[in-house]
Amino acid sequence: MISNSAALLVLGVLLAEPVSRALAAARWPALDPTGALLLWQAVGLAGGLALLGAGVSFGLAPLGPSLPAAVGALAGHLRRWDWPAGLGPWQLLALAAAAALAGRLFGILGLAVTRTLRARRRHRDLLDVLATPWPAMAGARVLAHPLPVAYCLPGLRSRLVVSEGTLAALSPAELAAVLAHERAHLRERHDLVVLPFVAWGATAPWVPGMARAQVAVAALVEMRADDVARARVSRLALAGALRRVGGAATLSGRATLTSFSAAVRGRLDRLDQQLDSPPLTLRLVPRLAALALVAVPTAVLLAP
Amino acid sequence: MAGLGELERAVMDVLWAAPAPCTARDVQDALAQRELATTTVLTVLGRLERKGLVSRARDSRAHRYQASGTREDHIATLMRDALEGAPDRGAVLVRFLGGMPPEEQAALRDLLR
Repeated sequence: MISNSAALLVLGVLLAEPVSRALAAARWPALDPTGALLLWQAVGLAGGLALLGAGVSFGLAPLGPSLPAAVGALAGHLRRWDWPAGLGPWQLLALAAAAALAGRLFGILGLAVTRTLRARRRHRDLLDVLATPWPAMAGARVLAHPLPVAYCLPGLRSRLVVSEGTLAALSPAELAAVLAHERAHLRERHDLVVLPFVAWGATAPWVPGMARAQVAVAALVEMRADDVARARVSRLALAGALRRVGGAATLSGRATLTSFSAAVRGRLDRLDQQLDSPPLTLRLVPRLAALALVAVPTAVLLAP
Repeated sequence: MAGLGELERAVMDVLWAAPAPCTARDVQDALAQRELATTTVLTVLGRLERKGLVSRARDSRAHRYQASGTREDHIATLMRDALEGAPDRGAVLVRFLGGMPPEEQAALRDLLR
């Protein structure tokens, strides 16, 4: 079991740093955002599972030949109120480290969820009074502000918001493209896709791979929403909307939003190329890799 | 509950237009053509107070309600929320069109102050 826990530790460290960093820097995800998002979820899940599993299986190794056996033995000891003899200081240290990591990860996740829900409720409460429903587009609301802004408020009672600045800047077709993009965020619950990586990044902000994962996943979610939008509206309308809202972010000469425009340019380049989705065999690779990534640490941990 | 937001907007419009704090009766009279019951007006005012849009002060006999900020103030708050909720800032509150980097969000926020 010691060798298992060493392998899990190596896997966890590899996934948290070099693998995450390489995936964040890779170019293929732009061709297949859905596959890349699946792979990211698997990397996060397998990384967390491997790191926690390494600590637990090392800590419990003296109690049995496999993790399920050791957990059973531990439960037996605890029921009889006797201290399992095999547990020395190193084992306790490993168990404490696993508990600390789990506590931090789930504590931060819980905090992010409660904060987000509270902030969303407050925002929605105000929106429902301050933004006027927009008869021309069902479900959308208009906020009286000259800055061009379009966003969605995710959740069970979601809202779709555009500012008057956006209405003034975009043609009807471009507006439809923006709304299709935002609706894709809402329908596919991209907020939930991003959430684990927010917790991941906040758990270990000093690990560059984990911090970059958050940014990469956020960018992929935008590409995915672009892809959904352009299946419904013309590519030109979507590109025009991006160009105009991105360009309008140069606000009356007072602030030039250069790198926002740069991020927009990246998405525009993507739209300009007639992206055919990659062949089935290539699209299978990230999906199978994702499956294998989750299956391997699970199998190692549960093997009798 | 489709009409509730619309009613809240109408009540806020009354309070924003009023020169002085209003009683529930004043609001009811201002919206006379809607034929609202007093309890409805009080319910809406209570909701608006919970949302932080309305403040209440006790006069000698009646409660008087006042808008706790201009419409523009509250809209600026929403715009700041929207910008700060971008994914790389922690909370997944709302998503801006595109992932805007932090320094640009700061520039935009400055413009909204």
